[in-house]
Amino acid sequence: MTTTYKSLALRGVAAGGIAGVASALVQLLVTEIPIRAALAVEEARAPAGEAGHTHGGEEELVSRGAQIVGGMLGVVIVGIAVGLVFATAYALSKRWFADRTPFSRSFAFGAAVFGAVALLPWIKYPANPPAVGDPETVNYRTALYLGVVVAGLVIVWAASWLAEQLRAQSQPVRTTAVLLAVAAATAVVLLAFPAPPDTIPADMPVNVLWQFRLSSLAQLATLYVGIGVVFGLLIDPASRKAKAPEKAAVA
Amino acid sequence: MTSPAASLSAVRVPKWAFAVSVLGLIVTYLVLQENGLALGAGSELLHEFFHDGRHALGVPCH
Repeated sequence: MTTTYKSLALRGVAAGGIAGVASALVQLLVTEIPIRAALAVEEARAPAGEAGHTHGGEEELVSRGAQIVGGMLGVVIVGIAVGLVFATAYALSKRWFADRTPFSRSFAFGAAVFGAVALLPWIKYPANPPAVGDPETVNYRTALYLGVVVAGLVIVWAASWLAEQLRAQSQPVRTTAVLLAVAAATAVVLLAFPAPPDTIPADMPVNVLWQFRLSSLAQLATLYVGIGVVFGLLIDPASRKAKAPEKAAVA
Repeated sequence: MTSPAASLSAVRVPKWAFAVSVLGLIVTYLVLQENGLALGAGSELLHEFFHDGRHALGVPCH
């Protein structure tokens, strides 16, 4: 049994690395297509305003090739770091679907984390490709974004707490009550946070914009749900019942 | 409050686990969010190197 924190943490790192590689591949094969189109838009307007931040200019800090590799590497690093935090949160959780198998607990947790730190901010502040953001507002936008992420995690925690409080109720009543509460809290968050401060520049084609946003969402889902699934596979004794006794297989 | 939950609450989370988690969050921050707040000038290089990943993961970017 994976009952020590260290064994859970190692599996978290492995799950994060695997999901990160999968997400990086989605980036290379899917997300890079609209990124390339957006960079072309940015390049087309280069002569006009040379201000500060260029991606395509001659005196760039990092070459395009390095940015593609670095971007993928960044996703893998984030995957590993998130996997570690994910495993710690999992080890600390006492009431999260406590009556389910380790795999379903981990899968549900990955899906919930995806909803909280990826889907919710994506709905409120949709991802933008290069050539959209205004450098002047980046710190304000970052603060808003992190605020929504924190609010999302609070909702997940509170949903778990509420489910525990309603343990005396029947299963359908309990599920309905928790879902309604989550929907209400989500609506409050979406209404309470201010609208995205930047307008989309007129020269950004709307299909590039949305191709990018959907690719980004697919990639985030791969990362977070992937961590939940892989971590669940790695920690659930049921997934290696057929093979030798658990202890052997390590991350 | 029995079965899997029982074996689960048997997981003892040591104190260093929190340090490890904070480290994980710091790494995530550096890769995804650092815009000059913590590293100053060096952040520009970091920012550009991880550029595509930041955009792809939906983080606000310049």
